[in-house]
Amino acid sequence: MNRRRFLRNLLSGATALALAPAMLRNPALAGDPAQFARGLAEHPWLAGWKSVGAESFGPTTLAIEGRLPEGFSGTLYRNGPAWMERDGFRYEHWFDGDGMVHGWRFGDGTVAHRARIVATPKFLRERAAGRFNTLAAGTEVPNLEPIRNNDDANTANTSVTVINGRLFALSEAGSAFELDPDELDTLGPITWRDDLKALPFSAHPLRDRDGSVWNFGLVSMMGGAGLLVWHIGADGVLRSADLLDTPIPGYLHAFAMTDRHLLFVLMPVGFGDGRSFFERMRFQAEQPLRIAVVAKDTPTEAQWFEADFAAIYHFGDAYERRGRIVLRAVQHADLEEARSPMRAAMHGQPDAHGGHGRLAELHLDLRSGRAHWQDTGVERIEFPLFDPRTAGNRAARLYAPTVSGEHEAPYFNAVAAYDVDRGRRRLHRYGSQVLAEEHVFVPKPGRARVDQGWLVGTLLDSARGRTGIAVLDAERVDDGPLATAWLPYTLPLGFHGHFQPT
Amino acid sequence: MHRLIHFTRRLSRLVAVVSLLSAAAASAADLTVRIDGVRNQVGQLMLSLVDSSAGWENQVKPVAGRQVAADAKTIELVFSDLVAGDYALMVFHDENDNGKLDSNLIGMPVEGYGFSNNPQVMRKPTWDESRFTLAEDGQVVVIDLR
Repeated sequence: MNRRRFLRNLLSGATALALAPAMLRNPALAGDPAQFARGLAEHPWLAGWKSVGAESFGPTTLAIEGRLPEGFSGTLYRNGPAWMERDGFRYEHWFDGDGMVHGWRFGDGTVAHRARIVATPKFLRERAAGRFNTLAAGTEVPNLEPIRNNDDANTANTSVTVINGRLFALSEAGSAFELDPDELDTLGPITWRDDLKALPFSAHPLRDRDGSVWNFGLVSMMGGAGLLVWHIGADGVLRSADLLDTPIPGYLHAFAMTDRHLLFVLMPVGFGDGRSFFERMRFQAEQPLRIAVVAKDTPTEAQWFEADFAAIYHFGDAYERRGRIVLRAVQHADLEEARSPMRAAMHGQPDAHGGHGRLAELHLDLRSGRAHWQDTGVERIEFPLFDPRTAGNRAARLYAPTVSGEHEAPYFNAVAAYDVDRGRRRLHRYGSQVLAEEHVFVPKPGRARVDQGWLVGTLLDSARGRTGIAVLDAERVDDGPLATAWLPYTLPLGFHGHFQPT
Repeated sequence: MHRLIHFTRRLSRLVAVVSLLSAAAASAADLTVRIDGVRNQVGQLMLSLVDSSAGWENQVKPVAGRQVAADAKTIELVFSDLVAGDYALMVFHDENDNGKLDSNLIGMPVEGYGFSNNPQVMRKPTWDESRFTLAEDGQVVVIDLR
């Protein structure tokens, strides 16, 4: 993209000024720690949204219930917002908490857990100040300290990935932070190339079949325009970073890809009053989605499609056959809920709802340039994952937490494997008081057939006050866990994980 | 933020020019500047002092420029013999000694910077937001580098 034109867009665009100040102050919207504590005492499942009070946990070796399968060896890294309160002030938006990275290390028939807060500049500055003083993604924080750029506000709280043995904590509004893969100590933000310092590297990179990693950065969150398309080699060295021009200042949290194409689904958004990004952001549901189909060998060019609006955070798989692309996405019908998921729970209120959505297929016809949605009938899911070995021309089986039967918490209490095209589902229900999180697919070593593998996912057992982990056979989800292990305490819920085999 | 990005390009040019100048006024007021929050002790701090809206907007030359080693978390220096009156200061931390305030691909500053009065804005502050009055018996100005 022409740099001058880009700068002009930057200067004229009424874009998402994530870091813009508000001239007028709204009435205080923050959460109240005392109100949350009262809610938690009555509704133990609210532990999923509590604040940690320690910067590290473990290492703790846990007893295994059941039996870990032969060959299941490696570490499930997970990340999520964890530090929610300081100095009597509580974040009211789930995405605001400082990231805590967990390592659940399996090997020799045992599992050990450890966790550590990501020592971002934001966390260290606020720890020294004894209060939150940094612009947050969704909560209005009073008496803000000035920041140099978006990385000064980076919470590194959404996901993790491993590239060439190096562990990274990710959030969508800034740099990846590298961590020590054993101790989980923070090594610092990564600059892939000097001119790319502090640019956003989303929390949802995707791994190609050659081991290289694609990702995007939402430059419009920083007041610019366009999407930055990242390509990191399997060796952890930057291959390319290109700016893709976009027709609207849309928002996206994740993306999908086929063997040949990257697929970016931009949600049209506008901005209202408020200080933080999610306070100001408004989905423009009357406008169509804009979908970029980008050939991997020409990342600055896109074929653009339009389709009916949908609020989406996460995608499942995508595949490509005879000039058509199908991608699967979880749609959220309640736009306010989508803007601040589980907001009531952040306030300690039991009437929280949501977190889950309907699985729909977006069909893109590359020849006609037309796109349309098709419902799958699969509902009440989020965080869908799949076996990355699935052939690029057919639908993958999806693995996702879901809701089944009686449930006390307005979150997931089960995990299921979905064969969408055949209309089949295999499900395990953990219980009415268990909160189930994302389950990561782990291929069985030495087995080539797709979907031969395990699911590993974390749980919060609110009735017994414990956080744990379960391993299931991905082909026999309905048999329940092969092995589970529990910490003697609860930890707040997280978002996304990555399994690194050893 | 976008105005800040635009501003940083101009600030770089401005300070490169004024670092060659020296204070040349003939009155007696001393301006003491303390810069807090120098994040690392490498490179130079580059300051420029202006005495008008036109100077702030880069339309006339600054009154004085100064380059000083960033060898402590707090740096103090004095502009001597200034005429009493209104001034504003801008400063950036040239960590890698390349003579400019570095920014990334989209123009976001990635080295430290600050302004007199420390205005709480994510853009270049205005002359009025950064202006202070230097009395004849001198003045101390504290800038928090961001």
